[in-house]
Amino acid sequence: MRHPSVTARRVAAASVSLVLAAGAAACGPKDNDAKGAGGDSTPHKGGTLTVLNANPQQDFDPARLYTSGGGNVPSLVFRTLTTRNRENGAAGAKVVPDLATDTGRPNKDATVWTYTLKKGLKYEDGTPVTSADIKYGIERSFAPELSGGAPYLRDWLVGAAGYQGPYKDKKGLDAIETPDERTIVFHLNKPEGEFPYLATQTQFAPVPKSKDTGTKYEEHPVSSGPYKVVRNENDGERLVLERNPQWSAATDAERKAYPDRIDVRSGLDSSVINQRLSASQGADAAAVTTDTNLGPAELARVTGDKDLASRVGTGHFGYTNYIAFNPSIKPFDNAKVRQAISYAIDRSSVVNAAGGSALAEPATTFLPDQKSFGYTPYDHFPASKAGDPAKARELLKEAGYAKGLTVTLTHSNAKDFETSPEIATAIQDALKKAGITVKLQGLEENDYSDKIHDVKTEPGFFLAHWGADWPSGGPFLAPIFDGRQIVKDGANFNTGLLNDKSVNAEIDAINTLTDLDQAAKRWGALDKKIGEKALTVPLFHPVYKRLYGEDVKNVVISDWTGVLDISQVAVK
Amino acid sequence: MSEALLAARAAGTDTTVPAGSGARQFWRRLRTQHAALVAAAVVALLVLVALAAPLLTALEGQDPTTYHPSLVDSARGGVPVGPLGGASADHWLGVEPQTGRDLFARLVYGARVSLGVALAATVVQVAIGITLGVAAALGKRWVDQLLSRFTDIIVAMPLMIMSLALLAIVPSSFPRPVLVALVIGLIGWGNIARIVRAQTLTLKELDHVSAARLSGWGTWSIARRELLPGIAAPVITYAALLVPSNITVEAALSFLGVGVKPPTPSWGQMLTAADVWYQAAPQYLLLPAGALFITVLALTVLGDGVRTALDPRAASRLRVGTGRRRESKAAGGGTA
Repeated sequence: MRHPSVTARRVAAASVSLVLAAGAAACGPKDNDAKGAGGDSTPHKGGTLTVLNANPQQDFDPARLYTSGGGNVPSLVFRTLTTRNRENGAAGAKVVPDLATDTGRPNKDATVWTYTLKKGLKYEDGTPVTSADIKYGIERSFAPELSGGAPYLRDWLVGAAGYQGPYKDKKGLDAIETPDERTIVFHLNKPEGEFPYLATQTQFAPVPKSKDTGTKYEEHPVSSGPYKVVRNENDGERLVLERNPQWSAATDAERKAYPDRIDVRSGLDSSVINQRLSASQGADAAAVTTDTNLGPAELARVTGDKDLASRVGTGHFGYTNYIAFNPSIKPFDNAKVRQAISYAIDRSSVVNAAGGSALAEPATTFLPDQKSFGYTPYDHFPASKAGDPAKARELLKEAGYAKGLTVTLTHSNAKDFETSPEIATAIQDALKKAGITVKLQGLEENDYSDKIHDVKTEPGFFLAHWGADWPSGGPFLAPIFDGRQIVKDGANFNTGLLNDKSVNAEIDAINTLTDLDQAAKRWGALDKKIGEKALTVPLFHPVYKRLYGEDVKNVVISDWTGVLDISQVAVK
Repeated sequence: MSEALLAARAAGTDTTVPAGSGARQFWRRLRTQHAALVAAAVVALLVLVALAAPLLTALEGQDPTTYHPSLVDSARGGVPVGPLGGASADHWLGVEPQTGRDLFARLVYGARVSLGVALAATVVQVAIGITLGVAAALGKRWVDQLLSRFTDIIVAMPLMIMSLALLAIVPSSFPRPVLVALVIGLIGWGNIARIVRAQTLTLKELDHVSAARLSGWGTWSIARRELLPGIAAPVITYAALLVPSNITVEAALSFLGVGVKPPTPSWGQMLTAADVWYQAAPQYLLLPAGALFITVLALTVLGDGVRTALDPRAASRLRVGTGRRRESKAAGGGTA
């Protein structure tokens, strides 16, 4: 997932922000060991799992879901060619086969990927799943009325750039071949070693053409997973899922599907959700949330209560909150000024503003501190914990600002503890010690998002954040630092306007690698190299804390999503 | 002396008596109301605290914006370390969760914003209200129609929603407290204008005004010398009640995130940040809420006292304490 409020390339804003909310919100025990609170921690089948959410699942069409948003409740209904490894922590950042027998077989330069479907795959109506259905599912995600997914398919598939979907263009995409009912071949216009990650997206879920009802498909999507939708009220506000008898655990090693029924109730206030989960009364004892974290004040209360503290899941999603500079605006064209600010940052007060050490980890690298991203530790401008104002003043003097400097920091007015006023004022206070006077410019959320992603209006100094569409360095670094991805008219994410030939070449070189461990190392090295340019000041990586009810067992939280995996939860 | 002049004198609006006696009478009446006196003392204290904010915080040795990361428990969401929200000899009322900023300093600086904005907004409301109210009462029929309908529209408009809309479109470079005061002032003058218009319509039929008109005085002179003193009483009364309502509007706007900007503290802003902390750090919420409560209560009681002191009927009751009989007699005399 890219950055939450950033609707990647202006794809359906509503669906994406929903997805992002779902993805960014995370939970689950990394520290705790993934066990429920009850005495008998062995999970059993049966019961009803209640899901208490803030955001309704307005999109339930596999074409419209963004990467991480498709990873939770929708993942119970949609199976994809590959999927996330449903395990705790770092092991959960691996990609594993789902409908396919393996994670994909590339040709020599990783431009052609071939998958074979498992035998015995069936939809909820008993009809077999075919490779043509997967091709059709991908094709319909190109239809303008079903927008919302990530842009990779359009960028990567040969001849897909202008494709308008199967409703307008009956011929379909030549880039996807289905030589037989169980084989599907993808032709890419450039080497993409990370294609197996892309194949986890819900766009790779099979959609039977005869059952496709266009924009109405989301009212009753045909299930290939362990549950089927039996009720969908008020555009996803209340969802009821029940077992899909045609699903066979023999073909699905990932989804555990313990509960008989999943009851999703959304549109709730986040404080109500946390209050209900902490009270854990009645049906709420068997409840989880897939989109609501504990806030700082709630955490303060929960940590003072042993029972509640034992029911908190902790998750780490690949995500970085940072300060972005626009070097085309003075004085940020001067690397020394950018470095001075890097030195002056007080990460302990920024971390506190973000909710304290339990909800945020100080960051000095742009890449998240996880192995799958290729995390390579570096701290080019060591600010210690509380900042180094003396070093900052020295650099400002060298830059010609011996008497100090006044700058404007742009932030959003969202109450998200990410790009919000709390973080901005913490930075303002820290820079004051270095002789930098910071004026704050708080913008309404959408205004902020529009301004920072338009090269014509981009401010010089602003708060930003970025999340991964999958746990790898590629989708984390390329949109932000690839010079060819600077978008002049439209949503631009390369806010540092970096167009460095050696960086671009290295991005291309790593994309050809199909050995993902090898690629990760190279992404880490690239991050370290780009870090020297001081185009960003990494601030912190968020940590997600979520409560779950007393009867909830088998809590699994992977580093891929940082979120409690609903397919693993048991309530008996 | 005509009946009308008697009535005017009774209403404390007779300008033919020496100026000092009205004010003396007012003070004498106000003095008899203990609640109003206490309220006045509280308001005076609050204003003093607001004015002396830099002095008081210097005395404490703190300021409202400096972060103290060591005074909050980072592992527990940033809850203040120690009992009573981290209150100590250094931080008299404790510190703010997450930031460790001094709460006493933020509270007294917040008083400046809350009181300053409310008073400035009241001045704007009164100025517009008097101008338009008098103009409507003295102007030609179509002027009255136009201004009165305009006033109706302003009164009918929801204050909060209008303020939100106005505050959202003004560029953020405009000084925020001034803007908030202006916006509240520009929207909330409707009732004052109505009261002034009604009072002016009554006054302009009185003999002394007619006499002035017959003597060839211009409209402006009549308004200034004969009418303004007469409308002062209801305006002061209403203004005293407007101040607390303006304080709550400012707090509400800051609460919604469109009031004054961080790091400038205001009570409304403190309430916004504090509402989620009511369980983990209750004093963080109770301090600005309590300050707001005391201020609004004191100003309301004072406003009530001022109205009573200016209202002859209530005043006569206060003075003599014989109640309804005399009151009805006075009323009867006035209208006979």
